Amino acid sequence: MSYQKPIPLKTQDNQPYWDAADRHELVLQKCDTCHSYNHPPGPACAKCGSTELSWESQGSDITGSIYSYVVSYRPFLPGFQDDLPTIIVVVQLDHLPDVKIIGNVLGCPPEELKIGMPVKMTWQDITEDRALPQWIQA
Amino acid sequence: MATIKDRYAIVGVGESERSKNSGTTPLHLALDAARAALKDAGLEAREIDGVMSYSENDSCTSHQLATYLGARPKYVKDIMGGGSSTEMLIADAIGLIETGQVNTVLIYRAMNGRSGVRMGGGGWDVNMLQGAMDGGSFFIPYGAGGPGQWFGLFATRHMQQTGITQEHLGHVCVSFYEHAQRNPKAFFYGKPLTMEEYLKTPHLSYPFTKHDFCLESDEANAIIVTSAEKAKDCKSKPVYIMGIEARRTVSHAHYWTNLDEVASDFVAPSLYKKAGVTPQDIQVASIYDCFSWVVLRQLEAYGFAARGEVGDFVASGNLKMGGKLPTNTAGGMLSEGYTHGMNNVLEIVRQIRHDYKGTDRQVENCEIGICTGWSGPDIAGAMILRN
Repeated sequence: MSYQKPIPLKTQDNQPYWDAADRHELVLQKCDTCHSYNHPPGPACAKCGSTELSWESQGSDITGSIYSYVVSYRPFLPGFQDDLPTIIVVVQLDHLPDVKIIGNVLGCPPEELKIGMPVKMTWQDITEDRALPQWIQA
Repeated sequence: MATIKDRYAIVGVGESERSKNSGTTPLHLALDAARAALKDAGLEAREIDGVMSYSENDSCTSHQLATYLGARPKYVKDIMGGGSSTEMLIADAIGLIETGQVNTVLIYRAMNGRSGVRMGGGGWDVNMLQGAMDGGSFFIPYGAGGPGQWFGLFATRHMQQTGITQEHLGHVCVSFYEHAQRNPKAFFYGKPLTMEEYLKTPHLSYPFTKHDFCLESDEANAIIVTSAEKAKDCKSKPVYIMGIEARRTVSHAHYWTNLDEVASDFVAPSLYKKAGVTPQDIQVASIYDCFSWVVLRQLEAYGFAARGEVGDFVASGNLKMGGKLPTNTAGGMLSEGYTHGMNNVLEIVRQIRHDYKGTDRQVENCEIGICTGWSGPDIAGAMILRN
């Protein structure tokens, strides 16, 4: 069956992030002026307004810890009805604590979830040419 | 800059019937609410020269309402917005009156919030959501499609950091449901909630159960704002605006970039400064309650309990009648009804006017109240009112 959940829309501001995800890699937008990372990426730096932006690969070995989470027992979007409960987390990256990334933790029993729990990025191949960054317990 | 302290007042409030299926249009509901507010104020429709509304594209326009009300306003405005829009539009109205554009403004929210466009998530077009919200592509694909999840991510972190428990969320619900038992017009009138029942209720989306989510209803509310001078000609007892903070934001439109700040944190200091009061001076509150936790987070932001002590504050019964801060005394959006906050504004106006005097609904001797709006963690406004 084809993938039923929403697929990330690529836009002029986020395309490099999702293109990298498709090849199972994390890239982040970085401001060349104030050197902050911008996540999610945008048309300008959210800290200083600079439009001098570049993309920096973080590789494919990404770890972090759960900063916060919710566990949903009913679907709020199409495609999630067959995948309940849905664990939605905010992950703080180990090597860049200012960067927080939203995702799901796959295959984790909800009762094991805890703020601070270590996780590792993985990529879910959702269509022939698209992949979604996700998390598993580290 | 001119201070507006005590120079403007809310002079009329009114509502339509409240139901789950109105069988009519938002325009009809808005007309009922507007006529009730005019009657409350003792004003004629032609005396309204400004009309404003907020909606999520689920209402009628201000011009339509004015047309069928028989008002011929000099100014109409319809904005996109939910929570905290009432406070913002009141502040806008004051600005317009101050510069001589208009004299008396009617502000309304009309919605078939249960039978028509629902706010609780579900049914929205997913690509629209990804485009409409900043960084939408970074959470919609993960199933975060409604406020319960969006705000829940703040709640889980905040609860862990400050020691707030599920039971503390329950105290907010139980307190507000208790208020609803004195309000025959509340949806949950006749349906009290015990802590035991609350704790047995399964999560819809952890940390929230169905009791922690607000209601959805079909209804319209309206309020009328004018100058203190003009208020003297009205039939009602004016409720003066001591201070108002229209609309503050957090640092990023994609507000999950910082789960540790909410806009209410930035509203509070300047609000108290403008009003010239402190949290200790406030005797009654309407705290925006789209979710139980949102009340707890705002009690902290507005200084009613220190960070880490908010749970104890609500567990001690302080939100109930006779507590330190009777809050959402008509039942709030958790148990009365839901008009993106305006029903809570109506209630605090009635409390401060002592409309319930002689009944068990009246907060004894309340002279000063706070009314807060919460669009989300990202956007908030609030006002302090007196009689």
